[in-house]
Amino acid sequence: MKPLRIALTKGRLEKDTVALFEKIGYDCDAVHNKGRRLILPVGDRLEVVLAKAADVITYVEHGVCDMGVVGKDTIMEHGSSFYEVLDLGFGRCRFALAAPKGADFWSGYSSRTIATKYPATARAFFESRGMDVSIIKIEGSVELAPLLGLSDAIVDIVETGTTLKENGLEVVEEICPISARLIVNVASLKLRKQEIETLVSQMEQETRKREGTTR
Amino acid sequence: MKKYSKVTPEGTKDLLFEECLINRMVEQKLSRVFVSRGFHEVVTPAMEFMDVFDPETSGIAPEIMYKMSDRRGRLVVMRPDSTMPIARLAATRLQNEEKPLRLYYTQRIYRNNPNLTGRSDEVLQSGVELLGASGKRADLEAIATAVEALSHCTPDFRLELGHAGFFRAIAAQLPISPEQREDIRSTIEAKNYAALNTLLDGLEQTRSVAAMRRLPRLFGGEEVFAEAAPLCGSEEAASMLEYLHSLYRSLVQLDLGDRLMVDLGLVQRNDYYTGVVFSAYAQDCGDAILLGGRYDNLLSRFDLPMPAIGFSVNVDAVVKLLAEQGYAPDCPKPDVLVFGPEGCEMKALLFASGVAAQGGSCETSVFETEEETIAYARRGGISRVAVVDDTVREIRLEDETGKGEAR
Repeated sequence: MKPLRIALTKGRLEKDTVALFEKIGYDCDAVHNKGRRLILPVGDRLEVVLAKAADVITYVEHGVCDMGVVGKDTIMEHGSSFYEVLDLGFGRCRFALAAPKGADFWSGYSSRTIATKYPATARAFFESRGMDVSIIKIEGSVELAPLLGLSDAIVDIVETGTTLKENGLEVVEEICPISARLIVNVASLKLRKQEIETLVSQMEQETRKREGTTR
Repeated sequence: MKKYSKVTPEGTKDLLFEECLINRMVEQKLSRVFVSRGFHEVVTPAMEFMDVFDPETSGIAPEIMYKMSDRRGRLVVMRPDSTMPIARLAATRLQNEEKPLRLYYTQRIYRNNPNLTGRSDEVLQSGVELLGASGKRADLEAIATAVEALSHCTPDFRLELGHAGFFRAIAAQLPISPEQREDIRSTIEAKNYAALNTLLDGLEQTRSVAAMRRLPRLFGGEEVFAEAAPLCGSEEAASMLEYLHSLYRSLVQLDLGDRLMVDLGLVQRNDYYTGVVFSAYAQDCGDAILLGGRYDNLLSRFDLPMPAIGFSVNVDAVVKLLAEQGYAPDCPKPDVLVFGPEGCEMKALLFASGVAAQGGSCETSVFETEEETIAYARRGGISRVAVVDDTVREIRLEDETGKGEAR
């Protein structure tokens, strides 16, 4: 049987997931000493693939990876057809609408311009409010856009709010909380139920232990 | 202005030679099974009025349909599905025919997928619809046909059974609005346990809430029925579960072994399906290769209420699977290349027809000279050239001396 292949979002989610695997008892040496390799064995039943967040979703949707660890932000922006089986509890932050301090974002009737790295999320949020806005996609530091006068506000990920504060912005409204999720390909869950369920329940137990909560 | 005359629209592709051969082979295997089981072929137009695909009944979002307008400004779509047009056809042109109707089709559907996701916008599907029949016999007939059809193409698949009514019966026991019900349905469809728990935490913790919480996890082998039985909060849910179990016990006789599975969390397009639902998966294919189920309410939309069940096979996915498993048919080369010198062109053509009539394959040379003809045959790997004038002279090309032999 081929090892289960799990795609991890490179960076912090990767480190947190690897830490979780090690607590469960998987040997993650290959991930620590990866060099330039992108597909790494973890134990003999698991294979880790390192990828950018949006690519994790692509690989899982197409079934070339059985599972993936990716932020809820990426799922909201790119996701469609896979199973989202576990909230891993790490990588916590939130989507928020932020505007220059003191500006009353909701007042008046002129249409707003929003800068964001997450156009789909921003559009869905304003659609739910029945509000027409023009959305401008920015690739880098979104905070810059209102400072330069390009937009009235931004929709972005907020962790501590320090960056916002330093740039004279404040949160107008929180859109939703974000954390890392374990996703599974639809066919894989059916074809390799036993293996996947075992791993998911191990990860779930470890996650609950860490959060100190039980349902 | 930029011209797009040398590329095809995103999500579409040309099929060449070997690809066409595998495609046709899969198509033929499926149709042969359908015909042998008494289904009759129908073809519906690639374009239909958009009203045929009412989003409420079809469960197909308007934004994924390719839309156009006809000469009178009415909205027309490229068919995004074959079941709705066939229901239309059955309710109109076949309304006075003897029931049940046993129809099959092999045709492409069109869906406007998001860009750059690698999904095809044009998908060849082949499937059957059994209209005007309800009950266990009809359900077994449809599922057994699906199993036989797939077994002929790719024996290594898993078949999964569910029941659309099971979710509805449990949801009916909960004090929830239609919007909440849809939210719950979509989290179960996505097996998003965390979001489902959040939705259900706000409700009074009854047995039905506990059942709903378990629903996405209720998949696997026959043990699922025992697991689900204590969760049924109503007669209705219990009888659906019992029915599904009886289908399962019957289908075990198809010798699928552990390839026959159950998923009570199969809640796709829930307002469309009314009874048993089934799908098939294969290794190395991220999506289902077959989808089907009972849709007893659909025909009433076309004013001829009758029960119905059907399924469709994603032919493209099966073809891709076979190609990945290394199945590569050879494109056949013609047995002989026929050349007629000046004045004997018609003789050559008639000779070629004669070869074809006897079941051989041949190509007629369109070159001016015998030398060019032979060179072409060598390049193309054709082993025999027949020069036709008053006699027929055959040249065998493995024979490097190239000496002709009269026949």
